[in-house]
Amino acid sequence: MTEQPDSTDSTDQSGSNDANGSVPRTTVSIPSEIELPDLLDFYERQTAEHTQIHEFYENLDEGRLTTTRCLECGETHYPPRIVCPECMSDDLEYVDLPHEGELFAFSESRGGTPLGYHDTSPFVVAIVDLGEVKLSARIDDARYDDLEIGDPVSLKIVDIDDGTERERVFYRFEPRGEEQ
Amino acid sequence: MTRNVAIVGGGQTSWGDRDASWKDLAQEGGKATFDAVPDIGPEDIEGLFVGAVQPERFAFQSHVAPMVAELLGIDVTKMIARTELACASGQAALRYAWLAIAAGQLDVALVLGVEKMNLGKEQMPEMQASMSNVLDREFDGVNGLSAPPFFAWYAQRHMHEYGTTREQLSQVAAKNKSNAAKTDFAQFQREIEPEDVTESPEIAPPLHLYDCSGITDGASGVIVMSEEKAREVTDTPAWITGSGQSSMAGNSINNLPSYDGWPQAREASQEAYDQAGIEDPLKEIDVAEVHDCFSISEIIEYEELGWVERGEGGQFIEDGRSHLDGDIAVNPRGGLLGCGHPLGATGVSQALEITNQFQGTVSSDRQVEDATTGLIHNLSGSASVHSVMTLGRDPQ
Repeated sequence: MTEQPDSTDSTDQSGSNDANGSVPRTTVSIPSEIELPDLLDFYERQTAEHTQIHEFYENLDEGRLTTTRCLECGETHYPPRIVCPECMSDDLEYVDLPHEGELFAFSESRGGTPLGYHDTSPFVVAIVDLGEVKLSARIDDARYDDLEIGDPVSLKIVDIDDGTERERVFYRFEPRGEEQ
Repeated sequence: MTRNVAIVGGGQTSWGDRDASWKDLAQEGGKATFDAVPDIGPEDIEGLFVGAVQPERFAFQSHVAPMVAELLGIDVTKMIARTELACASGQAALRYAWLAIAAGQLDVALVLGVEKMNLGKEQMPEMQASMSNVLDREFDGVNGLSAPPFFAWYAQRHMHEYGTTREQLSQVAAKNKSNAAKTDFAQFQREIEPEDVTESPEIAPPLHLYDCSGITDGASGVIVMSEEKAREVTDTPAWITGSGQSSMAGNSINNLPSYDGWPQAREASQEAYDQAGIEDPLKEIDVAEVHDCFSISEIIEYEELGWVERGEGGQFIEDGRSHLDGDIAVNPRGGLLGCGHPLGATGVSQALEITNQFQGTVSSDRQVEDATTGLIHNLSGSASVHSVMTLGRDPQ
């Protein structure tokens, strides 16, 4: 992921000076590996210079799962917004969501898994019911065969290590009672 | 104001893991289409509509509609566009052609759906990464949520709410894959039994490999024409009698209306039925190509397309009512489970199957007798969008 050979051209002279007008030939090198570009990165650029919902990520970094609520019509959104889709108001506030919920539906990704995640397959991915909102989330420390609809789960924060100085966070859930 | 519009015929490449590029497939599909409609050539095409979902990622090529025009020697004089509506892109292209012709803007259109998806085993995770971003990448795709676990949730919830059984899912897969054994372009041409499904690997429990449509390369095309022009070409076109779409204000998980049903399929089909004058779809529809991206999808579609009550879809397949000789022959072509699912081509191929069923040109062992009314259905993305088109042997 880190090796980045310079893109250089090198002319192979051998055999290209034949008489008979043979066609010149050269080797053009392209990188065999590139760093994961942001446009192939599932995780959002989370800071204020990139997104207007940076407060969501700042709250998450402090251990709080939050979302936006419209001060005009009272609608709670998830994911967080900057404009209320119900009334078009942009007067929104961040409110806390529960850190505990229930499994509404779940499966386990065992094949056809996306780039960046296939090395960790199998993993459980679920709809977690937090009451006011439902969200998709990975369930850590769990196997499909051990879970049932309605099982309690609780929030955990994951720090994203992308090999750079950049500090990013996201959330997962885990079966309640198995917190470390 | 609106005019009658007909599909006069079309053709397609063989589908599967093809030793062919995106451009190869577009050329093969275009040639097959023009070969099947000898009275129409590239010089007749006024409108070109290309269904293609992710050529930017799978073939590193954008602006593909003009690419197709060049490859097939078409000087487009009226209207050209590429449509992207995830898995419904092919039907979206067909719908736009229908609208343009019905509105009197043009008389002859080519609708071509093309997708190149098999890029080698090494590239499969990257391909799946692109696919998983049809939901909200920032909040859903980020969880490694690809299509199989998403539809597995619907299978789990449908079983939980209605008692739908694992066996019923297997019966859908066995029916469609066995139908595809009668389809010469299909990716999977082997008859299977229901018990084979649960013996295939679990991809996203409760779904097994045979519950999932394929990763498929392919292209399909149809020629769409105004009534006046169509009658010069054939006496037996398929008339587009209705076309409905419904999309709710929801694409990510928290904002879906249901996790065991698709109300938008009900709305889209009702709109199409109203346009077509269909009052009792179960009685009136003879043949349907519905979006069986996963086995559970077809069971939910029996319900939401208004053929049976919610929760009774499992019984519908168990009673054989969607078999070739059933109440409605569902997916005689073999569906996405049997033919594969080259995203942009699927809806076009479904419409071509209905057309060929009317024309009596499909393989005789999958021919639906006296079919006069047909339907195609596609869902897309998180299944919050549904597209339904009705086709008739008569213009109404």
